[in-house]
Amino acid sequence: MAPARPPQAREIFSRAGFWRGFMAAQPIAFGLIAYAVAFGLLASAAGWSALEAVLMSATVFSGSAQVASVGGWASGAGIGAVVVTVLMLNSRYTLLGAALRPWLGQASTVQAYASLHVMGDANWALSMRAHAAGESDAAFLFGSGLATFLPWICGTLVGAAIGDVFARPEALGLDFLLVAFCAAMAVGMVKTDSDLKPLLAAVIAAAAVHLAGFTGWSAVAAGLAGMATAWFSAEPTS
Amino acid sequence: MSFRPELIAWLAALTLASFACRAAGFWLMRFVTMTPRLAAAQRAAPLCVMVGLVVPTALQGRLAESVGLAVVVLIARLTGSDLSAALAGVAAVALVRAL
Repeated sequence: MAPARPPQAREIFSRAGFWRGFMAAQPIAFGLIAYAVAFGLLASAAGWSALEAVLMSATVFSGSAQVASVGGWASGAGIGAVVVTVLMLNSRYTLLGAALRPWLGQASTVQAYASLHVMGDANWALSMRAHAAGESDAAFLFGSGLATFLPWICGTLVGAAIGDVFARPEALGLDFLLVAFCAAMAVGMVKTDSDLKPLLAAVIAAAAVHLAGFTGWSAVAAGLAGMATAWFSAEPTS
Repeated sequence: MSFRPELIAWLAALTLASFACRAAGFWLMRFVTMTPRLAAAQRAAPLCVMVGLVVPTALQGRLAESVGLAVVVLIARLTGSDLSAALAGVAAVALVRAL
């Protein structure tokens, strides 16, 4: 473990920077384990094998997108609906990535896009704070991201393995875990009054699409309606 | 461990979609300027998609799921922890089904 030595010559993407990020993200990484186990459990309850769940955790690496995708697969939604859902769920990452451009743009293409693959909300916030406090090494972002990636994979495996033990997951209510997580995350995402109008538009759109019989498209309709409402509610220019 | 071959196309598409979002902002900032409206729409997206995933279950009006959703919302508001809220909701559903 390299000590937090401020580099003399300015490092762009060094091993020391990687380890500084990796160690700084340990509290976040620890907090992620329970979520990863929960995802493994709900994937297992939806009939996914441990291998399938782990593969998804490694490639998609986004809790909300993974939960939505497993839900879409379970409800028989087509791949188009699920892809659009994932695009909307992860569209916030474009904001995070955009903010990284001045800093991460100094790293090589491979380093930059590898860092973006393991980026999540928490390690992004941590890295931006470190950058504002003088961290100049862009490997900090990759290190902190990989620190969250590893427990995410291991936790998924553990959750899926535990889930496979239960023959009737619905007796334990585990089939409800997916919807329960979506509802709980939604409650946590309502932060200001300006969230309420998009929320209302989302509920109406989702209900209309569901009642019209378009299974699997309610999340897409809700996302589009909410985004459009937020767009028109915001000031056109700053 | 098993793997359903039909899942490969799914995972590939989802991986591309997820990575596209991560890469797009970083890449596009060479060409596009962020506006308050674009930022507001992107901020609203996760909440609204999550709500859209809950609505079909809420509309079914089954007792166990309805009680479960009420418990989730209540615990999430009270504790601010989405993990505790989700687990409490699951426990509530299991309890109502057992009764």
